[in-house]
Amino acid sequence: MTLAKPLCSLLLATALAACGPLKKPPTREAIEVRGSAYDRGLSHGTQLRSKVRSFYTTLLTNSLFPYLSREQPDIASFLPEYAAERYQNGNFAYELLLDSAKNIERSLNRATREELQGVADGSGMSYDQILVLNTFFDTVLAVRGVALAIRLARAPLVRSVEFVGADTDGVDNDNDGQIDEAGEGHFEPYIPELYGMAVEVQPAAAFRLVLTEVDGVDPATVRIFLNNELFTQDSPEMSLVELSPTELQVTLTPSTPLAAALTTTLVIGAGDKKLITVPLPARESFMRDEEIAFTTRGAGLNRRDVRRPPLTDGRTRPPPIAIGARGSMTVGGAPYIAHHFSLLDANTAYKHTVAIRHVPETGPAFVTVGWAGMVYGLSGMSDRGVGYACDPADTLDNSVVGSVLAQVADLSKAKLLARGLPIGFLGRKILEQATDAASARDVIANAERAYGWTCVLGDRSGGLEAIEVDSDIFTDGTKGTFPITTSELDVTGRRYAGTSDDDFVLGSNFVKNVPDITTLLLAGQRIIPQRQWSGFFYRSRRAVDGVKGRIEAGKGRIDAPFLEQLIADPQFVDQSDSMNAVVLDFANLEVRSAMGQVPATAGPFEVTEVRP
Amino acid sequence: MKRFVLAVATLAAFHVSAMETQVLPASTFTFDFAYLSTSLDKQWSGTGKALPLVEESRRYEPGAGLQGILRANPKAQLDVMLIQALYGITDRLTAAVYVPIVMHSRVTTNLSWEPGDYQSQLGRKYSEDDFWGWASSLGQPRVPKVWEAGVRLADIVLGARYLLPETEWMSKNNFRWSATLQVALPTGANFDPEAAVSVGTNLWELHAAGDVEAHVSADKHFFVDEFGVYRVNLGVDLYYAFFRPREYLSGHGLINPLLNNNAFYVGDKYIVDGGDWLAGTVSVDVVPFLGPTRASIVSGGKLERANALPGMLTLSLSYTRVQTFQSDWKSDSPLWDYDREKFWQPGSKNIVKATATVSLLRVGVPIQLYARYQSGDLIPGAYTRPANVFTAGVRLVAKFW
Repeated sequence: MTLAKPLCSLLLATALAACGPLKKPPTREAIEVRGSAYDRGLSHGTQLRSKVRSFYTTLLTNSLFPYLSREQPDIASFLPEYAAERYQNGNFAYELLLDSAKNIERSLNRATREELQGVADGSGMSYDQILVLNTFFDTVLAVRGVALAIRLARAPLVRSVEFVGADTDGVDNDNDGQIDEAGEGHFEPYIPELYGMAVEVQPAAAFRLVLTEVDGVDPATVRIFLNNELFTQDSPEMSLVELSPTELQVTLTPSTPLAAALTTTLVIGAGDKKLITVPLPARESFMRDEEIAFTTRGAGLNRRDVRRPPLTDGRTRPPPIAIGARGSMTVGGAPYIAHHFSLLDANTAYKHTVAIRHVPETGPAFVTVGWAGMVYGLSGMSDRGVGYACDPADTLDNSVVGSVLAQVADLSKAKLLARGLPIGFLGRKILEQATDAASARDVIANAERAYGWTCVLGDRSGGLEAIEVDSDIFTDGTKGTFPITTSELDVTGRRYAGTSDDDFVLGSNFVKNVPDITTLLLAGQRIIPQRQWSGFFYRSRRAVDGVKGRIEAGKGRIDAPFLEQLIADPQFVDQSDSMNAVVLDFANLEVRSAMGQVPATAGPFEVTEVRP
Repeated sequence: MKRFVLAVATLAAFHVSAMETQVLPASTFTFDFAYLSTSLDKQWSGTGKALPLVEESRRYEPGAGLQGILRANPKAQLDVMLIQALYGITDRLTAAVYVPIVMHSRVTTNLSWEPGDYQSQLGRKYSEDDFWGWASSLGQPRVPKVWEAGVRLADIVLGARYLLPETEWMSKNNFRWSATLQVALPTGANFDPEAAVSVGTNLWELHAAGDVEAHVSADKHFFVDEFGVYRVNLGVDLYYAFFRPREYLSGHGLINPLLNNNAFYVGDKYIVDGGDWLAGTVSVDVVPFLGPTRASIVSGGKLERANALPGMLTLSLSYTRVQTFQSDWKSDSPLWDYDREKFWQPGSKNIVKATATVSLLRVGVPIQLYARYQSGDLIPGAYTRPANVFTAGVRLVAKFW
């Protein structure tokens, strides 16, 4: 009992407002750390002690570990080592992440390890826990990718898509330079497209699909969404025919023709006939919703120019996006990067956000935007005026799959082990070492990466670069490194990732690293490219196309407030898993961040000066 | 996910006497046995809006958005046996001991579910059954629809009331005043930190009375007959209730890994320093029926004494305003503390009580019977939990002289 309470109560008795209202602890922090790497880690851990501990517990122990543990049966069926005693009794996720963290630790330099030790000492947590906290992003994404690929391998696949009548409509629907050639409008095998699949389709055309799955496709689960209208087995427009026990043909003949000159999306979903009951809840295996963009007669667009319209079926959320702009696009030509990062808030990450200004003994000061206990962010800027923003790009060309390949001779002992550097540590290296956007790009390009990422890099002089990376597990000659310039065109003549020579718009998918991996079978599991399995793929395509339209419309007027408004637009905001939104204002050496609530942009952007 | 810990305002005030300044004659005992049936199903917001007792819980699938929103609208019911023993040390000083025993506790959780984002791996949104299936795969048992507990002792309270000396004016005008001190012994229980649903029995969790209470009370009689028996009484009671800090254990998720796993960042133990109360009561007692009077063992065989005993029927109505102060949680996590403190900000509760007392003393039977209904939600309060309580009791009077 302290004296404060009775005194306060006594005051309240005479003046009820005397002790002031209850003050909510900040859900976003801004701290400065100085000195050696260890000193900065210690200061970080000490200042944010309770938040480091609660972030670890509420995000990892209470959310991610249980979630990952659900994947144990699937993974153990493929890699029996995970049925061992060490991984039982709820220890699967932590031990799996710790295995990878220890493997990744070999790639960390001494200063980084000392900083992590400092955070551990300051927060009263173990070094291993802090190591797991700082490596889980890449490891979890890689393991989740493996688990998702295993899961989707059980789900129906789209074998073919046909725009019925496209081979007799007198139009070049696939932009191959030929009109009504044999098979025009029939896409088999079906390969997801970055852009449009067909153009100038007859508004009254029917759509025919063949779905396949070894356990059979359940007609009752087939779901077609076209132009804001849902069609199921019971819809009179639908015709479902089981071609064989493993094949289902679906024909959709819209009762009213689509509008002319329309750009729209055909969304296909289905499940199989086998009910999975372990782990609960019971469910069939569902395919990813496949989204096929096309235009109807009169749109006048080439496939490469088709931009995916927003989807309104309530089954999809916007992905993380990164935008770079400079020169002709911005007010006064000032360079900016804008980033809205969303992945897994889990109703807790938002309470632990922090902007950390590092003032090292040597080298530039810099600011990272991240979470308590993590020594990096997915965006940041140094006082040299160099900054970055990175988003995950799902890929099976990742270090965890690579570790399985390396152990393929004896899968009975194989484990899922990430290696290389998580992107956050590369971000730190950029802030510590890079002198411009090009050297920042090279920091990423020259490193061994643990997972797939897309990054936009900028500098104070207007340098603007982008890069896509994976782990290059097949050493295919690309080094897993795909730098992109603003003016670079793909084989169809379309810019990879922007609307002009002065901007980038990237989502959470590859646009140059396509395909990111060769399709193959590994120990009975299909290894397939990103665009055939990633849940981020279509939503990234849609969001990027939407942002491009806004960027074009704002040409010459783009500044920090414009970008803040853009990345706060609900069309581009994941209402559940938005984690932070950042605008890097290179000219003013300001990091403007919105965080501390969900979505992050529900609160104001606050400025952190990079220079102390 | 929120656990369903409930504080249940139950006992409100121990004394059952009609007047605020009631003391016993020297060497007189009363033994009071009361049954209290309490119910609680809401808490007040800062603006007097009724809210469920438990905050909604938004459940997320990592990386796959909102699973859904789990809501609970629990209703807690407690059956309490309150045993009171009072003794008149002198004609002005009465000592008392109050022993509350929670005979039975029952919480109906009333869970509901609002589906969240579409889950591609399921091919649908999570239903409530899907969610609990998911939770069970993580070792989290489903929260029961009904939780019940048996006999448990609450905090025992010791009290003393002193009838302050009256001035001549007071005596002439049938005015009296008293001071009362109550002190609780820590015999009640904290809630179970590992249980999904739990109700503690200490005074803070029952929010029934302070650990220490200091009262100053006054009564003014009207229509007093020659034996000193009033027909109408107006009473006032002012008191301050102090809550001592209490230590609680944090949950380690031993039974409910998704519900009660906070010890790592909250700390193994934490302190709750409950906000004190400043309260006032105004009451009116009316005696519409004095009843027959006869000399008996109760009056020592003297009719004059019998005529001085309380009327046969007393009807009482009172209003109590309790001003509550900020409660503080002190753990290793200010964020966690705030999530609790926000529901226990400076606030108020408004308690209206109606009591009927039948006294058989005048006819020679040393028994008083009473029934009371206490409403906590007739008048909205703020940042408190209003309980409604029905009480029925019997009081035996014994005097040894």
